Amino acid sequence: MRKSSIIRLLFLGLILIVVPNLAAGQIVDPKHPKDSKHFPSAEKVTACVSCHTCEKPTPDDPCLVNCPRHGAHFYGHHEVAEGPEIVIIDQLADLYRPVVFAHRLHAEMSNMTGGCENCHHYSEQSGVIPPCRECHDAAKGPVSLNQPALKGAYHRQCMNCHRDWSHASACGFCHEQVHEGIGTAVPDTTDIVGIPHPNITSPPTFTYQTTYEEGPVVTFHHVDHVDNFGLNCVDCHRGDSCSRCHEPEKPKAQKTRVDHVTTCCSCHGQRDCAFCHTEQSKPRFEHTRTAGWALEPHHTDVACITCHGSPRDFRTPSDKCTSCHIHWEVGEFDHGVTGLTLSEDHVDLDCSDCHLEMNFSVRPSCEDCHDEPMSPDRLPGIRK
Amino acid sequence: MVSRRDFLKITGTAAGTAALTAVGAEASAPHPDLDPDRFGVLTDTTLCIGCRRCEWACAEQNGLPHGDLESYGDTSVFDEMRRPNAEAYTVVNRYSPPAGTQQPLDVKVQCLHCEHPACVSACIVGALEKSPMGPVTYDAWKCIGCRYCLVACPFQIPAYEYAEPLTPRVMKCTMCAERTLKEGRAPACVEMCPPEALVFGPRFELLELAHRRLAENPGRYHPEVIGEQIVGGTSWLMITDRPSAEIDIPDLPNESPSVITETIQHGIFKGFTGPLMLFGILSILMKSSSDKRKEKEDENG
Repeated sequence: MRKSSIIRLLFLGLILIVVPNLAAGQIVDPKHPKDSKHFPSAEKVTACVSCHTCEKPTPDDPCLVNCPRHGAHFYGHHEVAEGPEIVIIDQLADLYRPVVFAHRLHAEMSNMTGGCENCHHYSEQSGVIPPCRECHDAAKGPVSLNQPALKGAYHRQCMNCHRDWSHASACGFCHEQVHEGIGTAVPDTTDIVGIPHPNITSPPTFTYQTTYEEGPVVTFHHVDHVDNFGLNCVDCHRGDSCSRCHEPEKPKAQKTRVDHVTTCCSCHGQRDCAFCHTEQSKPRFEHTRTAGWALEPHHTDVACITCHGSPRDFRTPSDKCTSCHIHWEVGEFDHGVTGLTLSEDHVDLDCSDCHLEMNFSVRPSCEDCHDEPMSPDRLPGIRK
Repeated sequence: MVSRRDFLKITGTAAGTAALTAVGAEASAPHPDLDPDRFGVLTDTTLCIGCRRCEWACAEQNGLPHGDLESYGDTSVFDEMRRPNAEAYTVVNRYSPPAGTQQPLDVKVQCLHCEHPACVSACIVGALEKSPMGPVTYDAWKCIGCRYCLVACPFQIPAYEYAEPLTPRVMKCTMCAERTLKEGRAPACVEMCPPEALVFGPRFELLELAHRRLAENPGRYHPEVIGEQIVGGTSWLMITDRPSAEIDIPDLPNESPSVITETIQHGIFKGFTGPLMLFGILSILMKSSSDKRKEKEDENG
């Protein structure tokens, strides 16, 4: 019998002895280091099997499961500015000089297509993103067949986009080869510091002609979605590649009708076809038209989500002011907050005297009560 | 009297029957000499970036002619399909991307190190050997230059140094046997590969890895591990995004060609039954014909 087979048998025997003694489910070994990776908090204990394939992982043989890929193990949200401006990658510098990686610039670009998770497929539950080398060993070969070593991890990460972007695998794009005169010193980084991705300009409105007979025109006001509805680029552009904008002439997978419908429906849900499909192009968003009352002047700074929930969980509150202003009760309401402090003559009136049937979405006029318009400013009080 | 045609028919049938009986018995048996922990390499063509650094590392490791590292950045070589030759154990070929997408597919070509290699079977002097640990190695000292291996290889990998009339060698990837077998290190190409599209390890673990990747990314891969079954399995495995025929892997049976030829040959000579039968039939025929001749002579005489 071969040596390795004997070792395996011994190992199997060990497991058979150990396993029945362990409680089912999570295994907490008192000798196991209580670090944040394994025990992010007192309540949350990471189940061993979510990362390890064997019962007793050791530093030499961690028997890790396949690399937890995008999003599966990523917690929290990070702003671009939180990350470092540049990162010098020099853990593997022998044939090549260290690579200067413009982290912030890439983070900005990534923010348009998938966010931090585009590259950082893992973070601790506290939201802290560990450096790649913490898991991906800098050793020459992979420690575990299930995850690439540091070299593989870096190259897969970069080339995944750069190949799509340039169709080239020229090492010199990132690397400068070490040769006489140029040692392994860190190259000059000043030329890439502080260069942001230029602001993106997009057409404000896209008008699509479709084959749907009952409403062939679909109007998409991109500007409304970005400026008014507060969507982030990644909300819709998740998975887009850089070449979508930078190389529009290159052939690319065309978005199908289903792709478009899926993107729109992810927020708008199962609306009637007529919500998007119209006979004529639709005008831009106007709160007065859709809700019956204008956002101006007091609601212009209120984000949509404050009243309507998130785009994916859109709700329509009633047009009664008290549906949001729950403290505005009769008798206690200070009319001054609307910008109009009522005069002595008007302050004691009942709301419905002016706002007929308590409909606050219609502005009352003097003529509703007075035969002659009041002068000089036709207001029942002082406008601030 | 037995005619020449009849004689050939009878002896041919007898030999064929003996051989086929043996084929039926031995074809499905696993190769007995292979180590269960034998090495292999897994090529994931979807991770390959076509940088050709494996070609450089291979040439450097094996003392083959090569330019400097940067010269391998030349992508004009992808304009035509290349084959491994006497000066390169491995080459990378580029295939066009699928319709509507942009990323081309780069495929590294080298000896697949069959589990039951036809070249080893064909080699009459044992210059080519299948190591129980995986690599198919070559010993130029034993080689007599018959080039049967070139004909036998189902993938047409071995090349011959025709340019070296005095000391020609058969040239093919040895899975860097001197590194893998003696030092346990990965082959030069694997160690060099920037995105780790090549992985070196025990073959059974690589098979598990390959199947896991196929299962976890069904859209990314064509559901087949090239080398798991073809010609009885190969030590070098591949997973890719399209059917193997589209990356010029020949359509071959899941049985080593040498299993058939070897069993026929070994079957004929097993226990010397074939030759004994042949000579037995021959002696019976000779006896009967000489008897007939005698009878005729007696009648005439």
